[in-house]
Amino acid sequence: MTRLFLAFVLRTLATERLRTATTIVGVALGVAVILAIQLANASAVRGFETALDAMSGRTSIEIVGAGAGLDEMQVPALGWLRAFGVVSPVIEGEMAAVFPDGRAEAMRVLGVDVLRDTSIRDYRVVADAGGTPTAEASVARLLELLTSPRAVVIAATFADRHGLRPGDALRLASGDRVVPFTVTAILADEGPARVLDGNFVLMDIAAAQLAFDRLGRLDRLDVRLADGIEVSDALAAITARLPAGFEAQRPARRGEQVERMLAAFHMNLTALSWIALVVGLFLVYNTVTTSVVARRREIGVLRAVGATRTQVVALFLGEAMVFGVAGAALGIGLARVLADAAIALTSSTVSTLYVATAAVAPAIGGWHLALAAGIGVPLSLVAAAIPAREAARVPPTAAIGGADRIAPRAAATWRSLAWSAALLALAGWLSTRGPVGRVPVFGYLAALAIVAGAARLVPAVMRGLARVSRTPLRRGFGVEGLLAHANLSTAIPRASISIAALAVALSMLVAIAVMIGSFRETVRYWVGQTLQADLFVSPGVRAVPGTEQTLSPDVTAAIAAHPDVVATDTFRNMDITYAGERVVLGSGTFTVVAAHGSLLFKSPADGLAALRAAIGRDAVIVSEAFSTKFHVHPGDTITLDTPAGPRPFAVTAVYYDYATERGVIMMDRATFTRHFGDLAPTGLSAYVRPGADPETTRRAILADLPEARRIFIYTNRSLRDEILRIFDSTFAITYALELIAIVVAMLGVAATLLTLAIERRRDLWLLRLVGAEPRQVRRMVVIEAALMGAVSQAIGLVMGLALSLILIYVINVQSFGWTIQFHLPWLFLAQASLAVIVATALAGTYPARLAAAGRDDGSV
Amino acid sequence: MMRIPAIRCFVIMIAALGIVATPTAQAPAWREAQPGYTFAFPRDHASHPDYRVEWWYYTGNLDAADGRRFGYQVTFFRVGIDPAPENPSRWAVRDIYMTHVAIGDPSGRRYRAAERINRAGPGIAGAATDRYHVWNDDWSASRDTDGRHTIHVVAADLGVDLQIDEGRPPTINGSDGISRKGNEQGNASHYYSLTRMPTRGTIALDDEEIAVTGESWMDREFGTSFLEADQVGWDWLALQLSDGRDLMIYQLRRRAGSADVHSSGTLTDADGQVRHLSSSDFSLTPTGTTYRSPTSGATYPIGWRVEVPREAIALTVSTPLPAQELDFSRTTGVAYWEGLVDVHGTGRNGATIGGRGFLEMTGYAGSLGRFLSTPR
Repeated sequence: MTRLFLAFVLRTLATERLRTATTIVGVALGVAVILAIQLANASAVRGFETALDAMSGRTSIEIVGAGAGLDEMQVPALGWLRAFGVVSPVIEGEMAAVFPDGRAEAMRVLGVDVLRDTSIRDYRVVADAGGTPTAEASVARLLELLTSPRAVVIAATFADRHGLRPGDALRLASGDRVVPFTVTAILADEGPARVLDGNFVLMDIAAAQLAFDRLGRLDRLDVRLADGIEVSDALAAITARLPAGFEAQRPARRGEQVERMLAAFHMNLTALSWIALVVGLFLVYNTVTTSVVARRREIGVLRAVGATRTQVVALFLGEAMVFGVAGAALGIGLARVLADAAIALTSSTVSTLYVATAAVAPAIGGWHLALAAGIGVPLSLVAAAIPAREAARVPPTAAIGGADRIAPRAAATWRSLAWSAALLALAGWLSTRGPVGRVPVFGYLAALAIVAGAARLVPAVMRGLARVSRTPLRRGFGVEGLLAHANLSTAIPRASISIAALAVALSMLVAIAVMIGSFRETVRYWVGQTLQADLFVSPGVRAVPGTEQTLSPDVTAAIAAHPDVVATDTFRNMDITYAGERVVLGSGTFTVVAAHGSLLFKSPADGLAALRAAIGRDAVIVSEAFSTKFHVHPGDTITLDTPAGPRPFAVTAVYYDYATERGVIMMDRATFTRHFGDLAPTGLSAYVRPGADPETTRRAILADLPEARRIFIYTNRSLRDEILRIFDSTFAITYALELIAIVVAMLGVAATLLTLAIERRRDLWLLRLVGAEPRQVRRMVVIEAALMGAVSQAIGLVMGLALSLILIYVINVQSFGWTIQFHLPWLFLAQASLAVIVATALAGTYPARLAAAGRDDGSV
Repeated sequence: MMRIPAIRCFVIMIAALGIVATPTAQAPAWREAQPGYTFAFPRDHASHPDYRVEWWYYTGNLDAADGRRFGYQVTFFRVGIDPAPENPSRWAVRDIYMTHVAIGDPSGRRYRAAERINRAGPGIAGAATDRYHVWNDDWSASRDTDGRHTIHVVAADLGVDLQIDEGRPPTINGSDGISRKGNEQGNASHYYSLTRMPTRGTIALDDEEIAVTGESWMDREFGTSFLEADQVGWDWLALQLSDGRDLMIYQLRRRAGSADVHSSGTLTDADGQVRHLSSSDFSLTPTGTTYRSPTSGATYPIGWRVEVPREAIALTVSTPLPAQELDFSRTTGVAYWEGLVDVHGTGRNGATIGGRGFLEMTGYAGSLGRFLSTPR
């Protein structure tokens, strides 16, 4: 059997390099895409967790507060925590290092009391220009943080990158403030200094409070438990004793929250990544089928000399195994490259929309090898099972007798139709089911049922098309068109598979294009309706979720006082925990919001009245995503953790918001201040007097800004562009994944045409004998290819529109909670259809050349 | 672990910042101890934050009902860093608060000590200015309106919970309101003592709680600059004599090994009469008995001969517990010997007198120890 395998399978694979390579590349691409997305998904969470680990040091429990950190005046009353171990107050956040040439780099800043914190985190000061300091002298440098209000300690990697040494100045921007600091020491590359590739700044807690504009509050207390105290025991004991408004948790919880926050985003990428593999498996099916066809005679001989059916099946499964193993192996190598691309495409989305993190690509480990092999090999075998069984059914005499064509069981049309109807009905039912947890399991199953149901319809559709297309083809393409029609009509069972494969890939593209197009239109409309102000001001350090950047009173006052500015409205956003998840709590002046109509309400019908009803009492309005995620509707009451403990808030309205899927709670500025304190604004919108040019005003405001202030100002126009730019970059990965699936499908079309060429080599030979020019044969095959592409695209369009409905109304709603208005991107679909037909025709040129040169020697 | 050298250096730094007065020091924004100061009580028990350094220093000999005796020490230090920080944050460092606590048990051959160091922050540590109340986390010392002091300092394996009456009126040390330490103008402090304070309460040692009574000695000092560069340490004695007199003596040691002329002492009679002793009025010489600390490696002369010829005092000082070194050299970098002692000798007219007291010796464990405390 081994020798037979070597002779029968491996030799052919070697001689038919192109077909073998195509198939292996198809499988490899499928495996690689899945692995790459796994790696990219892991990288975001891992980046956050790596930073979390480095920053947490030996912290086993952290005490956090409701709202914006915790009130430092409560700290003395928490003195009893000392019984559990070392307690270190912490301020942590993002600043930007601003260099003289105007460049800026994001820095992670830790503000602590080094008298306590050295028990929790490791800081090792490295030698500086003065030579090797003793351990004592080096740590004296750390203690300068206590005595020099502007002292900072930075990481060696960062210092080396920028040629910074102790004594040098370093300008750090926080919010809209640029503060000059002096580097007093350099930290070795360990502990927190490793975070963000060394973009780390250590400063005294007092300096951090001032620079972050967080006077009076702390971000958290880190507790290093004394030896012998169990974390779980301590957690329970501390939780029981903490006053309202405080919470004790493991640091890892922040990582878990990030993981949960990203779950829906990651889930959808994972689902997309499987498309390429599904298409790749069609390739395996195709290739093994080709192989069976090409070696019918050999199979007959084998069977005649006593090979059992099982052995024949085993031979072809062996071939599929080669594809699976080689594809998986190649896929792993390819995954590394694709992962880098996927990380590049996704990390900015994660940082813009979810959490500040530096993606850390995980190394490909044993688990990934297992995943690749576990996906690639068994699925290749499954894909090969059908043609292998067909091969086993070859009667010895028939094969030797030379009846080349397999007579695939022409599945009874009615049965096929019944299956389709059942699957599509199932899809309809599934799409009405709710999510499992927050995962739209039934939505994905519905999509799968639509794909399966529609694929089953392909042969019937092709038969129907065959009946009506003969005359148009003859008119359009003459005798070659007629021949192409005849060839495809007789090859419907075989061609259906490839067409179905391509149609599936194309339907995904269509569905996603429709979904994204609809989404984009919806966002454009929303932006147009809600962005009313002329200028939007944000702090000079870009606010990434989870960090806080604020505007200073002098900046907001200066803008309000500008002669061109007639009205301003400040707003404040911050992250809070609701029902265990990070959501956004925002505040704005509701009277201004109502006056300018800058919100679109989903419910109730009179949203403005509901908005006004939320003024002056403990009431909020929530975003649609929040409403969907937490099943909260107008009339409900939600409980928010405030610094004074849990408080009930009435929900008066749900409004549309596409800025974040995390969910937003909005309250009037006065209500916010009453519960969470008078915190500095994180943004400001300004209205200019009629006749004033916003761009001129923008420049004037920026020109008047003092040296120590740094802000971004968007005009209405540029903010709209910016929002759409972010939107487009968010979906770049989606298109990239789709393109890979389509490339794989194109390979499939080429492989199918090769198969058909082999099956019909005697007919083609006859055509040549009766006087057909090679040019004519070539033309015929290219027409066949284009026809297959056209049919695939037609079916793909219909299937894709059905899928897009599932994506928009089921999967999107359940994953992200957004209402998307259906919008058909006509132009894009028309262009894509044309491109597909041209591309398949091009994919047909190689088989066409082979067919034109075809000889009756059993090979191509 | 980094914490260890970290705080050790902190002490070096504080030293560099000005406890040791240097001629090149910037004009201090801190107030200097100047002659002519008039003490007032209870006002001067409260914090004097315009001086750079101050402390409240309790030592005492205590007796348990079962006959065992114990020595205790509780010290609250405030060390100024920046009299007016520009940063409005409550965490901005104006002062650093350090607290030391120790208990000696001669019969059990035990000695336990603990320390705490904090910035004021949002009330984590501090000292009131309107009344006597100083605290460091949950360690505190205070005085109520009736004049009773309360100390509450409980650490892991020792604790001091005492109520202390003031007893005799305060003894003002030095002359003209200042206790001079060096040649430089301003190298001095305002220094008074409560020399014999009836004490009762409980102490905790390992897992044992012990009810005690006895007598404490409180030293209170505030000033801005103290030692000079070539003063390496001091030997200090606070003795409660059986004839009713209380004797305080400190001797500054110069780098060259000689005693400093600014060494001085104070003798308080039973009726509250106070006499200043200048360096020429007494002699303080080691008897030769020494104790070598296994942890810091320092060798301390734990036996002393005290002679005050003018007062006809001739005493021998010895201790029943040689191992009374507070060794924080692995944490705050401070190591000094501070412990209970017994005295035997002769007083006026050759009468035999005894007594108890406390001995402090600094500057023996390397050059670090001297920075924390300064002579009193």
